[in-house]
Amino acid sequence: MRWFGFGFNAFGQIYLNEKLIKGECSDAAKEVKVISPTELVAIHADRDECCLKAVCQIRASWSGRASLHLDGDSCVCLAGFLAANNESCGISVKDTRGCKDASISESYLTLAFPDRIESWHVQKEEKTPSWSMEIKTASPGPSLDLPLVPGGYIATKPPFYRSLSPHLKAKSLALSAEHAILLSESGVVYTWGLGSHGQLGHGGLSSEEEPRAVEALWGMPMSCVATGGWHSVCISDGGDLYVWGWNESGQLGLPSRGLRKAPQQQRSPQAGARCQDPCTSLAEEPQDGEKHEEVFISIQAFPALLDITPSCEIKTVSCGSRHTAAVTTTGDLYTWGWGNYGQLGHRSLSSSDEPQRVEFFREQQLSVVDVVCGAWNTFVAVVKEELA
Amino acid sequence: MATLWSKISAVLPHNEEQFPLQFSGKVESSVVEMLKRCRQQLYSDTTRTGRMLNAQIILDFSWEKLNTGTWRHVDKEWRRVYSYGCLFKVAALCREDPSEDEVLQAVKICDMGLLMGAAIMDDILQVIVRILQSEVRKSAKGEEESEHAEVKRIKIECPHAPVIKEELAVPRIKCPSLESFNTDYLLPLKPVILEGIIDHWPALNQHPWSIEYLRSVAGCRTVPVEVGSRYTDEEWSQTLLTVNEFIDRYILNKDGVKASGYLAQHQLFDQIPELKEDIRLPDYCCLGEGDEDDITVNAWFGPGGTVSPLHQDPQLNFLAQVVGSKYIRLYSPEDTDKLYPHQSQLLHNTSQVEVENPDSERFPEFAKAPYLECVLQPGEVLFIPVRHWHYVRSLELSFSVSFWWS
Repeated sequence: MRWFGFGFNAFGQIYLNEKLIKGECSDAAKEVKVISPTELVAIHADRDECCLKAVCQIRASWSGRASLHLDGDSCVCLAGFLAANNESCGISVKDTRGCKDASISESYLTLAFPDRIESWHVQKEEKTPSWSMEIKTASPGPSLDLPLVPGGYIATKPPFYRSLSPHLKAKSLALSAEHAILLSESGVVYTWGLGSHGQLGHGGLSSEEEPRAVEALWGMPMSCVATGGWHSVCISDGGDLYVWGWNESGQLGLPSRGLRKAPQQQRSPQAGARCQDPCTSLAEEPQDGEKHEEVFISIQAFPALLDITPSCEIKTVSCGSRHTAAVTTTGDLYTWGWGNYGQLGHRSLSSSDEPQRVEFFREQQLSVVDVVCGAWNTFVAVVKEELA
Repeated sequence: MATLWSKISAVLPHNEEQFPLQFSGKVESSVVEMLKRCRQQLYSDTTRTGRMLNAQIILDFSWEKLNTGTWRHVDKEWRRVYSYGCLFKVAALCREDPSEDEVLQAVKICDMGLLMGAAIMDDILQVIVRILQSEVRKSAKGEEESEHAEVKRIKIECPHAPVIKEELAVPRIKCPSLESFNTDYLLPLKPVILEGIIDHWPALNQHPWSIEYLRSVAGCRTVPVEVGSRYTDEEWSQTLLTVNEFIDRYILNKDGVKASGYLAQHQLFDQIPELKEDIRLPDYCCLGEGDEDDITVNAWFGPGGTVSPLHQDPQLNFLAQVVGSKYIRLYSPEDTDKLYPHQSQLLHNTSQVEVENPDSERFPEFAKAPYLECVLQPGEVLFIPVRHWHYVRSLELSFSVSFWWS
């Protein structure tokens, strides 16, 4: 399995360019915004054996990337800002040996070992983790993926451990800065946290302190959930994709007024050649005299079914801050949403409110099997087409 | 002759070492690292593309923080980071002989920092926008002649003012002493129109406020505008426009746009200090409890027909009329039960009733509520006691200044 990455690379989290980090690069744009899928190479091939092993999973934050090598002697390697502060590959690779899962945020690396969980503050360079907890070996139920742990989950900032009611029967959990989405063993979706942009899917803008079932999805078992900065996504057992939350950059795949307003700003492939005004939270001004009757969606407060491509089922999905990436059962990758840093992989810096296939993988005869998004970038796992 | 960049760099720290980048632990090290790269680029020889790129990264990241949670809870540090992003972007834009358009863009970016960010480096964005504005004024020539005709036209078009019934008229008093105002109106919470108390304002004398004057002082500045008939409507929204765009589109109706636009409830005088110098704090505010700094001053500028639905505020209000006239109706808080306030938390201070077209079936008690009314003219100040319900409709092009105090 090989991994490719595209999008935000200002910290070398996709590929490293020493000059870039030191600010010497004259063609900074191409290095910071990786618009074409680029294969991930071993981070420090000359230094540590583990980096030569195949990467099984990737976790990404805004400025960093963690590669999980889970075969045999498993370990975690770091790239991006997290790695820059440390001489060796990672916090200390020895410290990560034997871990079976990891998650990263801007400040913390959380490692899940068979007998314990540890959270390390990546910038403090301390000898011991900031927080840890033991796992009783005889925990019932299926093995859990981070951020789920027995009895609860690990948050992105302190207090790390948050308990979850066993009634929820949590199977998987996706967390963003301010909201969470939980999938139960029976396929029910629960959300909680801030709801100001409709990201909880209960039909309003109010927040929820406790997990609340998304009633609109009742009766339809879901198999996968994901969160972006202000949006939520889930896949049904039948491979349908449901989206809700904020659509200001088209991250829901629904018509977005903000993208249609300034068409001339979208097609320029040059980074920084034109200045993008910082968006605000204020709505765009209504256009009087528009001939077509288009309905734009700024906030989708109830789940909506998104038709990505007529015949295909969705296998897995991941969200960045303001973009979404989905893999079909037939090995294609579709992306949509904010694209200013090349995170959509269409070899441009345009955003899109319509799901589009990433043609690069088809051209290379690669079949996509997994996708993981960082805040402003996307990492894709592929295998050769014949093997798929 | 000093170039624009030499004027801007004169107000920036001399070198990298003297450029402060101090933040609380809330701002992650990776973000600080990016800010340091921006700072380094400011003082070294590098490409404009590179500078714009890194400044934009700061802006994009902090924008996301500014949009997380409620505005009230956004950590001030992130607003500072946003302002730094604006500063670096403006510096990148203005470095190499910027075009007219680029200077206007830089003004806009300063305004975004002033509106959404928090003051940094002794409010450096305010200092820079002033430099940029004088640059803009240099290139702007008189396009004002054609405007006189436009303004005259809209003045003639103003609708007939409602006739005020004498028994319902808000009482008027000319230049009362502090004591008598306190005894007769402030303490008993009685509305009154104060005449003659703002006659000395430069806005009514040396710099009479007009469309031309506002264009010259603030034309290229970006301000928040409310679009839609009233804030209780579904179609209501807010947007950002330059003062020029606002005047062209919503006051002079140049695009033939039908929607109503109102520059309402905006602390314009903090953003544009030149306008602050044209007004004065009413002396009577000293009768209050708070500091001068706690007094919120808002601008209300718009065409005829703008409406503020019947609502109440938690503070005392002096509403000073500078340009044009407004029809205002006042209801006592004692009659709140007849005014049908909205139930939602967001709008519980607003009545559901359309004052000048009430639905007597849905709101039968409304007709029984006693009220006072007036047409507020330039030079007059209306005192609205705390929690007194008020409804305001502009009768023509209007500019008012409100003072909220306790």
